[in-house]
Amino acid sequence: MGLLTILKKMKHKEREMRLLMLGLDNAGKTTILKKFNGEDVSTISPTLGFNIKTLEHRGFKLNIWDVGGQKSLRSYWRNYFESTDGLVWVVDSADRLRLDDCKRELSVLLLEERLAGATLLVFANKQDLPGALSKEAIQEAMGLDDIKTHHWCIMGCSAVTGENLLSGVDWLLDDIAARVFTAD
Amino acid sequence: MDVPAAPCRGHEDSSSAGDVVRVPERILKREQARLEDAERRKEVKERHSVAEENSDFFTKTFSRDRAAIDQLIDTCSGTDRASATRTLEEATAKTQLLQKFLNDSMKFLAQYDLRQAQASLQKLQTSLTEKRDEVLPKKKFAFRSRTKAKEEVAEAAAPPQSEETVVDAVTPAGVRFDETVYTKQCGFSHQEAAVLTKTAEELLKQDVLLSHLTDCKVRLLGAPSTLHIKHVRGCEILCGPVSSSVFVDHCRDSTLVVPCQQLRTHNTTATQVYLHVTSRPIIEDCSGVSFAPFTWSYPTLDRDFEVSGLDRTRNNWTQVDDFNWLSASTPSPNWTVVPEGDRRTTWDLNEAHEI
Repeated sequence: MGLLTILKKMKHKEREMRLLMLGLDNAGKTTILKKFNGEDVSTISPTLGFNIKTLEHRGFKLNIWDVGGQKSLRSYWRNYFESTDGLVWVVDSADRLRLDDCKRELSVLLLEERLAGATLLVFANKQDLPGALSKEAIQEAMGLDDIKTHHWCIMGCSAVTGENLLSGVDWLLDDIAARVFTAD
Repeated sequence: MDVPAAPCRGHEDSSSAGDVVRVPERILKREQARLEDAERRKEVKERHSVAEENSDFFTKTFSRDRAAIDQLIDTCSGTDRASATRTLEEATAKTQLLQKFLNDSMKFLAQYDLRQAQASLQKLQTSLTEKRDEVLPKKKFAFRSRTKAKEEVAEAAAPPQSEETVVDAVTPAGVRFDETVYTKQCGFSHQEAAVLTKTAEELLKQDVLLSHLTDCKVRLLGAPSTLHIKHVRGCEILCGPVSSSVFVDHCRDSTLVVPCQQLRTHNTTATQVYLHVTSRPIIEDCSGVSFAPFTWSYPTLDRDFEVSGLDRTRNNWTQVDDFNWLSASTPSPNWTVVPEGDRRTTWDLNEAHEI
């Protein structure tokens, strides 16, 4: 029995996953986290630092890390990369002027070795706003089709209404579970 | 079944013929039991393994599907763009299905089969991409906000270079915006010394963008969903209750008056903010920003507060977080409170009208 097998067995037993949620500031990361956890989203302040939530979903224990997206915090993102199973990248679909920034930051992350094995879920958030770009437009603008290094999926969602949050996370869980828990 | 005889005959070689009968009864019995047991186990195993879960079935199905996709890709040619797109989409969907099939079959496949299948999938992906590049060369990127907007453009028979005409100055090269996006976006941009107003109906639940304004007076008399203020100078911007966030970037020598749920201020200097905020306001890369409580009033303010859902009793305008100043012991030098005597209380537009 190789070391990898042992590790996989251990993980399997705990059925634990570590999800890292990143994106530019004002994308709605904390709102997604709180909404998913059924908390009040009307009192959220911009994140100075990070939030961690541990929650049970479909028999999995999810550790979700939500790290602030301000420019001054982005250099600290790397401190959270280790042993990440899934990366959730949150995009403000109404913020056209920073889509280029958004694309650049994501492409830097995807080169990161410690995230090489992670599944990528892109949330095209704020679909409830009338001026929001569609999921397809975001997919094109972010050049997602060029990603060959990671399993990825994009979902249009709204953290305010909760639309599609569950199906996004469910996809992520399925993809991670297929890699981590049944590969042996 | 002739197998049980074998051990007996083997025995025979080394001893006389009479020994055969002398093989103890219990050994024969045990042999019989062993064989029955093996038979039973085999049966159980067969019962458990489903037809779909053996590697023969997998290999057959996989190569059949792969051949089908290969054929699809081969038949696709560049003569008819629409049908080529359709064919490629179908091929992509089928490839994805195949990948899923492989994922589902992972647990009973041998490592070698798994790797072979993965490799051929990879090859399929590559040829799909090559085909797409060949048949449908990538267009220059441009946003298309809605299909409806596209139709409008078509009706107006826009000149062919319309995509090139509007290039936002702030946006780094690479991302371009259609005119249609601008007409869709609620707000004002590229104005100088103007009085700009919007009504409650125009603002309701919109995301509003104010960009590249100089010496303007802006009155937004309603409850938008979000407000973006970018590249403004010398402006006076008053806005009704914003139900989520106000995002300010590159603003100087201005006055902002707004109630909101979040305020995010970046790259801003010498600006006063008359604020009602229900969470903690933040500044980043700012200096000379001063805060005061929200004082503006207009006829439908109460109704707009209700629309926005903001809590009127909670105002954290002094709880400013500076992302460039993490020391808790000394206050940030980048922001101050406007002294009570210096705060403005009237926001009349009358003077502005005379301009």
